[in-house]
Amino acid sequence: MIDITVKIGGEAGFGIMTTGLLLGKIATRSGYHAFEYSEYPSLIRGGHNVIEVRISDEKVYSQQKQVDILLCLNLETFNKHASEVKEGGIIVYDTEKIPESKLNKPDVNLTYVHVPFVSILQEHKLSTVMLNNIALGALMHLLGADLNILNAAIVENFARKNQEIIDKNILAAKLGYEKTQKEMPQGYKLKLPKLKNIIPRLYISGNEMIGLASIAAGCRFYAAYPMTPTSALLHYLASQAQNCGMVVKHAEDEISVINMALGASFAGVRSMIGTSGGGFALMVESVSLAGITETPIVIVMGQRPGPATGMPTWTEQGDLLFVLHAGHGEFPKILLAPGDVEEAYKLTITAFNLAEIYQTPVFIIGDKYLQESHQSVEKSIIEGYKFKIDRGKLLSQEELSKLTEYKRYLITKDGISPRAIPGMKGSLHQANSYAHGEDGHTSEEADVRIKQVEKRNKKAQTFLMNDFQMPVLYGNRQTPLTLISWGSVKAPILQAMSKFKDKFNYLHFSYLWPLDKIKIKSLLSTFKKTLLVENNSGAQLGQLLTMVTGLEFEKKLLKYSGRPIYPEEILDKISFST
Amino acid sequence: MNNNNSIPPTPASPKPVAPVSEHTAGFSGYFPTWCPGCGNFGIWQALKMTFNKMKFDPDRLSIVFGIGCSGNMNDFLWANSFHALHGRAIPNAIGIKIANHDLPVVVIVGDGDCYGEGGNHFLHAARGNHDITVIVHDNRVYGLTTGQVAPTASQGFKSKSTPQGIIEVPVNPIALAVSQGATFVAQGFSGDMNQLVELIEKGVAHKGFSLVNIFQPCVTFNQINSYNWYRDRIYKLTSENHNPRDLNSAWQKSQEVTEKIPLGVVYDVDRPTYTDSLPQLSGKPLLDSALNIDLAQFINDFV
Repeated sequence: MIDITVKIGGEAGFGIMTTGLLLGKIATRSGYHAFEYSEYPSLIRGGHNVIEVRISDEKVYSQQKQVDILLCLNLETFNKHASEVKEGGIIVYDTEKIPESKLNKPDVNLTYVHVPFVSILQEHKLSTVMLNNIALGALMHLLGADLNILNAAIVENFARKNQEIIDKNILAAKLGYEKTQKEMPQGYKLKLPKLKNIIPRLYISGNEMIGLASIAAGCRFYAAYPMTPTSALLHYLASQAQNCGMVVKHAEDEISVINMALGASFAGVRSMIGTSGGGFALMVESVSLAGITETPIVIVMGQRPGPATGMPTWTEQGDLLFVLHAGHGEFPKILLAPGDVEEAYKLTITAFNLAEIYQTPVFIIGDKYLQESHQSVEKSIIEGYKFKIDRGKLLSQEELSKLTEYKRYLITKDGISPRAIPGMKGSLHQANSYAHGEDGHTSEEADVRIKQVEKRNKKAQTFLMNDFQMPVLYGNRQTPLTLISWGSVKAPILQAMSKFKDKFNYLHFSYLWPLDKIKIKSLLSTFKKTLLVENNSGAQLGQLLTMVTGLEFEKKLLKYSGRPIYPEEILDKISFST
Repeated sequence: MNNNNSIPPTPASPKPVAPVSEHTAGFSGYFPTWCPGCGNFGIWQALKMTFNKMKFDPDRLSIVFGIGCSGNMNDFLWANSFHALHGRAIPNAIGIKIANHDLPVVVIVGDGDCYGEGGNHFLHAARGNHDITVIVHDNRVYGLTTGQVAPTASQGFKSKSTPQGIIEVPVNPIALAVSQGATFVAQGFSGDMNQLVELIEKGVAHKGFSLVNIFQPCVTFNQINSYNWYRDRIYKLTSENHNPRDLNSAWQKSQEVTEKIPLGVVYDVDRPTYTDSLPQLSGKPLLDSALNIDLAQFINDFV
């Protein structure tokens, strides 16, 4: 089995992220599976950026601790990460820029490759931004990859630039490739052999996948205010807006973001917004407005470590209970948390249907780890996913015309009322933020209040009957231990499981609210031993499950350093606790 | 205990319905609960008369109401409406307009709602030249919360929240709108319904962001800025004393806030609206675009 991790580090602003992205894309195009993880501070220039790409001929779910090839564009990368390189691995660095005397070389057998990035640039009069292509050229050689695939990627990447820029970047890659070839010791075995059967795959981030799914689902209005880790969703949709007929609005603040989307949804357009914890905090009053006006909306809530500004470019699952409780007053909301890009696609499409069926806010809870990491996924899974656009009880003009009287908040058995759109003949109504009766007019009468509260609550019961999905159990049912988690932690857990199939199985929650208390309780009661794994300090899923079932979770693996959980950490914890 | 059984059923109290004339037909809802003599009555009548004059259909008119005494008009004025949160009516209205730019969209708010809680939205809606009409009830006081100071209150005004008098100088709505890119700015007085109908009609007909700031005496909580206080100061803008297409003249008029106060169209210029600037909306409203789309081109970007 081939399983290689390449780590590239350097100062922010030198194209490190692009290098990693292209490497992953090239590996995917060559038929390999790839997974990317990056770490960078909340700075534009300076600071230390690293990106790692794991490449394998088998499915990879997450990053791993050990590195095979470390490419250092500055001294800091060498000294911070050299110890992560495993026995027999390679470190590439610029001897002219990084003095030997300052290096902390680890005490294992490594191959050091000297590539003078800076003098290559100077000698060939290339600009500093092309340094990343010298690095990619070097990596192409080390991996044994085809330089032509890189050249094709460069041509695509610079499609809008003139031929001279394309030629210079291709030259940079060639120089990096040739220099590395010269530097490598005899008998070096290239890492990635040419694969015979190349399965077409996408190399895509969580943000891009949510965006792609929203296009598929007929979302026609997206509003956001930039905030890591969800900004890239705004960038992707803004770049595609004219191609897919969507209006993408960067509004003045998050309060405006959610209220514009509610206006657009009230007027009949499928609408989505995206933010992170701090921005979402500003939106909370309007989540409640969506609840009482029964206006559909899809909210992408990308978590990052808080409180307040916290660690903007890092990852955490610290906002599950915040989202669960967001919005004053009582009203149903639906919480979904995809664990990988495939789930992100399917759940985003589902979210749009659920928002319109139940006329209430539906959340897609992500995090930096899921949303900013690229990973490969079979193209056929995305292309072949069959779905229907279900707009619930949205009335057509024909249906509306047949009614003798239209009541926006009609009491119904399932709690869901027929919805008409302003502009339709006979649609006259108001969506009212005040407590109201069936016709939408303000009412403070006790019996009217009770009926409308119960009507809204009923929607949660209807959801549990018709659309709720139980958590999925991965692995062998009979193992002695069950790991329990949600969202992006699925990645390191499945990665750990791929090595030790019979040690544990995994219960993955992606439908987080409302929960079917009885079914969940009886399922949880069947497990012999459990280990709760979460990327937060409060075991928030554990708290939620205890609230719902009364069951307690004793054993936990919780991580809240701003870094994702590694498969190695899961295996350590399991061998310790069994 | 079941909630249904714990409280005896009370019949919904019958609400008196507002009188309907040929000028107000179709838009009249329940009879207002405002204090007798409230300046809101004049604005309410003027709105209904304008909509009838413009031959609007209540089904095809969208009104977003704010929260406050003015926002309570939601039950007195029939149209397809969204009753917003305090301060947030403008972004709701922008969303409706983007979704369906064929619908006329009117925002009915108070001065605290629009210039206080929602001040940021007001600035940015003007910049974007979103084609909505914002009708502000400017009474210089918070009525529904029983008499605190509003951002439009004169400096030194004493209220429940400023018993020693307000320290800040008032917001200048007209200057604010003119300076931030609004393309239609007018000022009216609820004591002059005929002029109000004219101003609201021009504002709604205007393509782009329009503000109609309306002086509306609060007879309960503001004893200073009464009908007579305004009548002693207001005068009408005419083609003789003002050119609304001239920014300098508009700016000068916007500075007249104490001794002489102008009523009429202060500023009226043309600039492409937000929705007219989006190629995606050039054919038909966003609402009418097909939901199914060929995904292949989007998927292939990631191969």
